[in-house]
Amino acid sequence: MNFDPALILASLPDVATGMAITILMWLGGSFMGLALGLAVSIARRWGGRWARLVLDAYVGLMRGTPFLVQLFLLYYGGPYAGLDLEPVQAGLLGLTLYSAAYFAEIFRGGFEAIPRGHVEAAVCVGLTQAQIIRRILLPEMTLLVLPSLINMFTLLVKETAVLSIITVPELTMVITAIGSANFAFAEATFLLAVSYWAIVEITGLIGRFIEGRLGRYRLV
Amino acid sequence: MTEFSRRRVIVSAAMATTLAAGRARAAEDALARVKKSGELKVGTETQFAPFDFLENGKAVGLNYDVFAEIGKEMGVKINWVALPWESVLPGLDAGKFDMVAGPATITKARSERYRFSPPVAEATVALMKRASDKSLTKPADIAGKAVGSGKATAQLAQLQKYGATLSPPPTVREYVDFSQAYADLAAGRIVAVANSLPNIADAAAKQKDVFAVVLPPFGEKSYFGYIGRKDPEYAALMDAFDAAFLKVKADGRLAKLQQKWFGQSFDTPDKAPTPAV
Amino acid sequence: MLWTHIILLGQGAIMTVAISAVAITVGFALGVLVCAARLSPVAGLRGLGAAYVSFFRGVPLLVMLLLIYHLLPAIGIDVPGVVAAIIGLTLSTAAYQAENLRGGFLNVGTGLVEAARMVGLNARQILLRIRLPIALRLVFPAVVNEAIMLLKASSLVSVVGVADITRDAQNLASSTYRPIEAFTIAGAYYLLLNIVLSGGGSSLSRMLGRHRA
Repeated sequence: MNFDPALILASLPDVATGMAITILMWLGGSFMGLALGLAVSIARRWGGRWARLVLDAYVGLMRGTPFLVQLFLLYYGGPYAGLDLEPVQAGLLGLTLYSAAYFAEIFRGGFEAIPRGHVEAAVCVGLTQAQIIRRILLPEMTLLVLPSLINMFTLLVKETAVLSIITVPELTMVITAIGSANFAFAEATFLLAVSYWAIVEITGLIGRFIEGRLGRYRLV
Repeated sequence: MTEFSRRRVIVSAAMATTLAAGRARAAEDALARVKKSGELKVGTETQFAPFDFLENGKAVGLNYDVFAEIGKEMGVKINWVALPWESVLPGLDAGKFDMVAGPATITKARSERYRFSPPVAEATVALMKRASDKSLTKPADIAGKAVGSGKATAQLAQLQKYGATLSPPPTVREYVDFSQAYADLAAGRIVAVANSLPNIADAAAKQKDVFAVVLPPFGEKSYFGYIGRKDPEYAALMDAFDAAFLKVKADGRLAKLQQKWFGQSFDTPDKAPTPAV
Repeated sequence: MLWTHIILLGQGAIMTVAISAVAITVGFALGVLVCAARLSPVAGLRGLGAAYVSFFRGVPLLVMLLLIYHLLPAIGIDVPGVVAAIIGLTLSTAAYQAENLRGGFLNVGTGLVEAARMVGLNARQILLRIRLPIALRLVFPAVVNEAIMLLKASSLVSVVGVADITRDAQNLASSTYRPIEAFTIAGAYYLLLNIVLSGGGSSLSRMLGRHRA
């Protein structure tokens, strides 16, 4: 197997488009998942018994099956249940539903880790439950779970590679197509490795920067 | 990366200066190795009905029958290595096996890179539609509609070329594999899938209520061949394989097997043609 | 018909469990080494550990598997698909487990360590009797979680030809032209395995918790 760097250079514009789609899908799905995950974690904790049962089942299902299987059933099985989505829509919805389950678990751990004393103190000074959640629990929890959230974001970058099975023209799809059209399997594999590594490392850098900034507000 | 380019530089330098010395140290002749070990290693994907697929967990299809006959002629046992298609050609390049069963459509680009056996079946591309779709009766009816094919395949290239002649041209969607294109056809997102006739005929036969073939085929006449390497140390092996293949073809065994798996036999040339595309 | 398909994918499930079990166990041991390197007083070792974690967390498993299976032969090392799959999964999970372990170690309260020092334990005793047991208990849930992630990530090994649940499902989809059914069975298998795994994990976790200091 030989290696031709010129091929990598020639395909860079296509690769850039694929990378842009990967990043848009990843950020879109992850941030919507973050919001949904927060809502799920709050509903599980304060939403009553039924809400907890249903949401536990949802989280278990999403975390217990591979993203590939979920996405396949959502996109190709959806039309039989009246849910006919375009690839990009299905990809965003799939990523959101999948990541929300993980984010909900991270937030749950965060809520549980907040010292009871803080909540008791808030009750004593007469804050309502909504105020306690918004003013005490959410800010404290965010600081606690920040490293886990950033870790989850980096994991999700790599999950986006699965979107190619529903014809979203993302990075993996673009690069493997170039590789097989030119029989340049070594170059394609190498390019894939470098591209994802770059995204993950840059995310890690941004994450550490945010952690550093917010770390100032950390208690004790 | 540097590791690979360096290897390449060393190889070309060696070839330029002392060709003979370089040759003497080249890999062992593939035919001698295969004869010595008594087995021919063949890469395959098990997801290409009716050539190669699993029936209740057992690998069956035209390929297994044809290679069994060729193995008899060559006096070797066939040792199958199953991989997903995207890993099969890289596996051949990496020397994981001696040949690839596939088969693959014989195209210009592939012929430049690999050595094809004589054609084993016709690969001409046709359309498959939903059985319930009455609006699609001839290939040109896809004008302006969404159709699908496999990413980076010869079938996709044919579909794109044909689509460009229609007005308005169809929207072409590319799938990682044909299973997904069929799933999207069944789900109604596309009106037709372009694939080689033997493959879609099999799909339509197995799912009569869901799929139907649109005749005639729209693509240029093309053929399926088995794939080997062009490297000099593989030349003798491929010559021996071709000779055995033609023997199996000449005495009618190939036609009988085509009949068994496709329900029809094909009139194919004895030598891999050199296609324009 | 449905039952034969379920039994067929069951064979894939055995393969999935087998390679995941080997990878998670060997990966844990390797993770301990990488973690030790990252927490080492020697700067060179720390750098190596950090590079390992960065590389194996940054490169997608799929790409890693392709590199091991297709590119190693180019430098004269040829491994069968199953071995390539186990190597890839092990190297990848070791990076994640090393990070979990490091988090566990750093979270062992300094108070405990100081108390141990006060009662006269030496550094070795503190490591073996205090820090290590507490860190292991702290990271246990993370190990179970990693096992679940790994079991699902193992669905990628089909790319090097390992006949796991996913590859069996793809084979079934392409021979029957019924992909939805095939992938539903596959999803059910993964869910079942993970329910067993997390159930077993929580009971083990409770047992460990009983000996909490």
